[in-house]
Amino acid sequence: MKPPAEPNAPSRFKPVTPAIAEELRQIVGPRFVIFDQPEALEPFSHDEVAEKEYHATPEAVVRPASAQEIAQIMKLANRQRIPVTPRGGGSGLSGGAVPVHGGIVLSLDRMNRILEIDTQNLVAVVEPGVITNDIDAAVKEHGLFFAGYPMSLQSCFIGGNVAENAGGGKAVKYGVTGRYVLGLEVVTAEGQITQLGGKVVKNVSGYDLIGLFVGSEGTLGIFTKIILKLLPRPKRVVDLLVLFRDAASAIGLVPTIMTEARIVPTAVEFMDRRSALAACQYLNEKIPYENAGAMLLIELDGNSAGQLEQDYEAVGELCLKGGALEVYVADNATTSERIWSVRRSIAEAFMVESPHQSLEDICVPVAAIPRILPELDRLCEKYDIQIPCYGHAGDGNLHVTAVKNPRHTLAAWHDMLPGLLGELYEITRGLGGVISGEHGIGHKRKNYLHYSVDEVSLDLMRRLKQALDPNGVLNPGKIV
Amino acid sequence: MATLEAMNIVIPIKQVPETSKVKMDPTTGVMVRQGVEAIINPLDLYAIEVGIELAASGGGRTTVISMGPPAAETAIREAIAMGCDEGGLLSGREFAGSDTWATSYALARAIATLPPCDLILCGERATDGDTGQVGPGIAAWLDLPVVTYVSGILRGGEGRLVVRRLVEDGCETLEVELPCVLTVVKEAAYPRLPTLRGKQRARAARVPVWTAADIGADVGALGLEGSPTRVVKIESPTVARHGQICTPKDPGQVEAAVEGIIAYMEKLDLL
Repeated sequence: MKPPAEPNAPSRFKPVTPAIAEELRQIVGPRFVIFDQPEALEPFSHDEVAEKEYHATPEAVVRPASAQEIAQIMKLANRQRIPVTPRGGGSGLSGGAVPVHGGIVLSLDRMNRILEIDTQNLVAVVEPGVITNDIDAAVKEHGLFFAGYPMSLQSCFIGGNVAENAGGGKAVKYGVTGRYVLGLEVVTAEGQITQLGGKVVKNVSGYDLIGLFVGSEGTLGIFTKIILKLLPRPKRVVDLLVLFRDAASAIGLVPTIMTEARIVPTAVEFMDRRSALAACQYLNEKIPYENAGAMLLIELDGNSAGQLEQDYEAVGELCLKGGALEVYVADNATTSERIWSVRRSIAEAFMVESPHQSLEDICVPVAAIPRILPELDRLCEKYDIQIPCYGHAGDGNLHVTAVKNPRHTLAAWHDMLPGLLGELYEITRGLGGVISGEHGIGHKRKNYLHYSVDEVSLDLMRRLKQALDPNGVLNPGKIV
Repeated sequence: MATLEAMNIVIPIKQVPETSKVKMDPTTGVMVRQGVEAIINPLDLYAIEVGIELAASGGGRTTVISMGPPAAETAIREAIAMGCDEGGLLSGREFAGSDTWATSYALARAIATLPPCDLILCGERATDGDTGQVGPGIAAWLDLPVVTYVSGILRGGEGRLVVRRLVEDGCETLEVELPCVLTVVKEAAYPRLPTLRGKQRARAARVPVWTAADIGADVGALGLEGSPTRVVKIESPTVARHGQICTPKDPGQVEAAVEGIIAYMEKLDLL
């Protein structure tokens, strides 16, 4: 079982011929089709998954500007049996935007308008190609806030966030992207345009198709308009960086923040010893990290300075009572940035060790986190590699990252990875967890989905896909 | 950091707008301060850290002072949270609009009314005004020796400090008599983060607010009236980029386009 199980059997798809490229040019305009230019096509061959075996180059890239154009492209693709892979900002971590069967990559970068900020109904209507951070910057002026907060917010597109149902650092309090999607305009796999939901907060009129499309990784439809729910913007934020002697006392603390202090933090980020050490050394940070077996980064938000002071004091005291070595408090831009940069630099810090990594995304019941750490130690020893573990402790979503040992050959790394991942997912399943919390399945984890989804559900998923995309042209080779 | 004898250390700091997100008003050319967070001047954090380390090694005391609006008390409390022993704020309408001359006068007067100090530690400059004049100004008003751009305190004793100073083409090692003023650069220390206990101590601390009368300052030498600097005009420099784009319409014209760019670069003496 070596992902991606890419069949070399004769393809059921047809190639993009010069005549078809010409037809695409007529739909979107000649400037917005890339064809027959290998160098220009290359950037569309991968997302943020670094490993080369997950890359695949498209035969053509089209950059439509409207739902109508996308509908025409999908009709053409169905007629000609050409695979179409939608692409947002390309910051995905499961290969969702990679055209594994070649064909057309449909880039949504030109559909990048914020169409409306409706302050009466607290919604924003946006096109899929808007950079997520730009939405937040635009609504900020109105005292509002878009709570979807993926870690890649500077580069990812909102369309991709909805397609992957992205999570991120603030999910503990605010949940994931899907919670904020009130409506969608979707071009179906067969090229029809449909409107779902609207500016309504409640909606049980028919099956929850929005829920079906959110997180479908571009395999069921293409979003052309997204109606997002906004929230009043909290006025103040405080971050605590807490050093613990060991991971168990760090994780043990997480539920008590809610049950004892009765506070729902915005974020509770966890860093194991390996992650914190690497990031601190990489940043040349001077906090006494050598003694820390684990760190938590806890973010709280609120409106009044006094209330927030009480809150962080309550959480901080709880940490000290629970054996924390030190609690650092950041209530301004200087110190907040310094604290968050530790968390954000982990991946980069391990790039120094090796660029060959498998960034995993398991999600386990929060209370099971301490039990997974000794298992990771065991895997580290068995495979003679480093497996730092960090992520969103508040919701059990851990970015366990297998990093290639620089002394191992690339071939050895590729040989060991399926076995390693299989073991990791088996451990995850044993703890009642799932193989992906927020990055998605894509083709990277397709062969492992059975660890999280039973045969009955897999069959339901395949039948859904068949019903919505009978010719199987929309983002084939993903999920199921 | 060298181990030194107990010193009384005063650290003047400034609260500045968080400049990484600052916008300029294109019509007035003035910084838009509304909604911009105020923070301790990042370069003052190094002075605070040096002060705390010196005091810890020798059993001395650190007093952090600032001049600014009442809200600047936040900066004082943050410095106390980091580990400074006490603080005080110069605040009042009479100080408003002070330039570096009047500011250094006011701070010097405040220092003169405090118990005698051995060392005054300043940041290199403030990230908003960017002059680097206030530290040396304080030294001038108090008639003290000053060493600017200090990157490290090597040793001390018998009423002297030996310090390393960064200069354009290397560094100098200087001996200076106490009391003195040092302005420190970021190489001098790595600022610590405030802890929960530090924050709690800072919240409980009393931060006195001093007026001109409290420090025996001549009101005529303060504020706009006491400031010889006159801001006549503020402009944002316009970055004028002139370029030449040579677009070949077909492969046959590529050579001509390249020639065009070469000619353009030769004209600018770039080739």
